[in-house]
Amino acid sequence: MSADEFDPAIERLFAQAPQFPDSVFFEADVAARLNKASRFRSMALSVAGLAGGVIAVRELLNVNFHLGPNSFTAEAGAGSLDSAGAQGGLALQSLLERSGLGDAALSAMGSMGGMQMFWATAGVLVALLAAGAVKLSQQI
Amino acid sequence: MAKPLRDLHDVELAGLAAGGGRREFGELVRRHGSAVRGLLRRMGAQPALADDVAQDAFLLAFEKCAEFRSEGTFAAWIKRIAARLYLKRISKEARYVAESETEHVAPVVDSIGRVDLDEALKGLSEAERLCVSLCHGAGLSHPEIAAAMNLPLGTVKSHVKRGLDKLRARLQPGPVALGSASHVG
Repeated sequence: MSADEFDPAIERLFAQAPQFPDSVFFEADVAARLNKASRFRSMALSVAGLAGGVIAVRELLNVNFHLGPNSFTAEAGAGSLDSAGAQGGLALQSLLERSGLGDAALSAMGSMGGMQMFWATAGVLVALLAAGAVKLSQQI
Repeated sequence: MAKPLRDLHDVELAGLAAGGGRREFGELVRRHGSAVRGLLRRMGAQPALADDVAQDAFLLAFEKCAEFRSEGTFAAWIKRIAARLYLKRISKEARYVAESETEHVAPVVDSIGRVDLDEALKGLSEAERLCVSLCHGAGLSHPEIAAAMNLPLGTVKSHVKRGLDKLRARLQPGPVALGSASHVG
C-alpha cells in the first residue's frame, strides 16, 4: 500500500472507537465526579456568602449614621429648603461624606465613617452576589 | 415537547452543557467516552491511567463547554483536551523512548482479515506511538505536537514518518480489512 493510500486508511482506523465492556461504569464515574465538583462549588459559594453576610452585618452595626435632628446645623443646610427637606438633604450629604463621595475638604478631615460605609456596602454587595451565585448554581 | 437527548446533535448538547446541563453532558460522555479512552490507550497509557485522564478531560470539558466552538466536532475537541492532559501527566517523567521497544514486524491481521491497530501500535517506540496517535488520533498538527511534547519539529516529523512506516508494514496486507472495528477488553 502506498503512503497516499495508507494515510486515509490509518485516519479511519483511528476514528473507530474501540468497544469497552465497562463503558457504563466509566460514564457513572464521570457523573459522580461532576456532582461532587458541583456540591463542592455550592458549598464554597455558601461559605463565601455566609462570611460576606457576617462581615456586612458586623460593619452595619458599627456604622453610626448620625441621621437624627441633632446633626442638623443651619450652616450645613441649604437655605432655600424647608426643615424636612433640609434634614433629608443633610442625611444624604452625610451619607455621601461617609462613603467618601462628599465634600473633599470634609473627607480630608480623616473621618472613619466613610470607610465603614464603604466596607459595609462592599460586604452587602458581596453577600448579595454570593447568594445570587449560590441560587444560580442550585438552579443549574 | 423537548427532543430526547439521543436525538440532539453534539453541538446542541454542548450548548446545553455550557449552561450547566449535566444530563446533556452525560450524553456526550456516553457518545465519546470510548473514543477518548481508546485514544489514550493508543497513545500508550495504561488502562487505569487512561481512564483517569479521560475522566479529567471530560470534567475539564464540562467547565470549558462554553469555549467549544462548533467549527470542529466535539469528538475532536475532547480528544485534543485528553491528549494534552495525558502529555502533561507524563511530561513530569518525560523520557520518550526514541527506539522501538519491540522490533517484531509480523502483520497484525486476524484470521478473518481484520486489522488490529491497537496491537500494531505496540510495535512502535513510545515517542513514535505518541506522535502518530497525536497526529492521526487527536488531530494535532506537527507544530502543535512539537510544542506539546517539547520536541523539535523535525524530530516530530521523523517520529510520525517512522511510526507510519512501521504501521504500514505491520498492517499489511490490510487494504481490504482496514475498515474493520477493533475491540478492546
